[in-house]
Amino acid sequence: MIEFYGVTKEYHGRRVLKDVTFQVRKGEFVFLTGPSGAGKTTLLKLIYRAERPSEGQLLVNGMNVSAMRPSRVPILRRSLGIVFQDYKLLPGRTVLDNVSYVLKFLGESAGDRRRRAYHALRSVELHHRMSAYPEELSGGEQQRVALARALVNDPSLLIADEPTGNLDHRLAFEVMKLFADVNVRGTTILVATHEQDLIRRAGRRCLTLEKGQVREGLAEGSA
Amino acid sequence: MRAATGLVTLLDEAVSGLVRARRMTVASVLVIAVSLVLVGAFLLAVENLGGLADAVRGETAVTVFLRSKATDADREEISRIARDSRLASSVRRVTPEEARSRFSSWFRSLAPAAASLPSNPFPESLEIVLAEGAASSSALPGLLSNLAAARGAEEVQFDVEWIRRLRAAVGVARAAGSALAIVLVLGAAFTIANVVRLTILLHREEIEVLRLVGAPEFLIRGPFVVGALIQGILGSALALGLLAAGYRALLFWGTREGENVAGLLGLRFLPLASAGLLVGFGVAAGLLGGLVAVRRRNLG
Repeated sequence: MIEFYGVTKEYHGRRVLKDVTFQVRKGEFVFLTGPSGAGKTTLLKLIYRAERPSEGQLLVNGMNVSAMRPSRVPILRRSLGIVFQDYKLLPGRTVLDNVSYVLKFLGESAGDRRRRAYHALRSVELHHRMSAYPEELSGGEQQRVALARALVNDPSLLIADEPTGNLDHRLAFEVMKLFADVNVRGTTILVATHEQDLIRRAGRRCLTLEKGQVREGLAEGSA
Repeated sequence: MRAATGLVTLLDEAVSGLVRARRMTVASVLVIAVSLVLVGAFLLAVENLGGLADAVRGETAVTVFLRSKATDADREEISRIARDSRLASSVRRVTPEEARSRFSSWFRSLAPAAASLPSNPFPESLEIVLAEGAASSSALPGLLSNLAAARGAEEVQFDVEWIRRLRAAVGVARAAGSALAIVLVLGAAFTIANVVRLTILLHREEIEVLRLVGAPEFLIRGPFVVGALIQGILGSALALGLLAAGYRALLFWGTREGENVAGLLGLRFLPLASAGLLVGFGVAAGLLGGLVAVRRRNLG
């Protein structure tokens, strides 16, 4: 599902990722952790081709992302569900529009879009705010809208960058439970988070990024 | 995505984008309308000048106004000069009463004044209808001189030079109108391009999000181009509406003053082809402005 082979990413001569190699198999639920600035967001950006590797090869859903033509990138992204760290909601559009928009370019009818968006919002307990605008929502609510948008098209791979960063403990565990439910239905999940407690409770595979390199398991001595 | 669904989505996005930026949309449509009203006014003027030239050119009659004491022999002499020249196809006598009646129908507000005069001031005349091609014949100036020299003739009226000048003026107006149209359409396109560019700047964040969630490129750029096209069409429709209202106001004013201005000058509104051309200018300005605005340099 996700295959990194000797991937290196440099910004202006500074190596953020160094010779990273790992695989995430179909149906897995994997956490990606590491200190701030370790390169978690960069690694996720490589997966959805917001960045290109400086070296190495990267496959997602069998597609060679590192050599992908720009015209193919939207197709890759439509097969993924992405929860961005800064939510990236569309301002001036309602919560329902934000969630259902993704379905527009999948050719869904207006009725189906509304129905599926409503269900996705219900799953994150935000169906009662579907007529609100993002700027009227709290940070936690915006994060849940971003989550609903990522889930609405039943993606084969869900990538989430700090999806519980603005949520209280109860909601954070609810979101993890939601991820677990989605994972049971066959969706591969990769969650970048620095919340060690969540990772421990979930009891899933964990990759730790440190000094630009990936290794299996939580860092030693992490609280 | 199926083509029909894609098209509906494209239109939906374009219209909702225009509605969300409604103030800019209205300003842009107004600027386009003003530009196209100027183009339309030129088209209207050229159309009517051309019509006038055609009407005058069609009137191939030489009018010989007779002296008040002209006799039948004088009339016969003028008719003979016309027939002998082989340039005339017929000669028709217009009595002073007929002349006054014509005047009254053309200038209705002056009709009572003309009727109230103690004597009829309109002279008798002979209208010599020229044969086909006679108007451009080299023998015509000779005929006009002979008619003017006839004993019963007071004045000979056939201003071929005036017609030539009018036709030349129409030609110049057409050329100037075409140049003006190009400049104004480019100006309208420039306005649209700037409005769309500004809209793109305002929606930069949204465009980034759309790309990140996998929106196809035609659904990112397309709505801006279609939006610009809609602005062009709305602007040209508004321009046509304003021109029609102006034309109606002119007719209303002419009728109120008691003159049949439209009938007298042969005024007419833009024919369908010219109206279509104006809408075409709007479409061209919209398309050009939209395409310029969504170049990669602006949209990333």
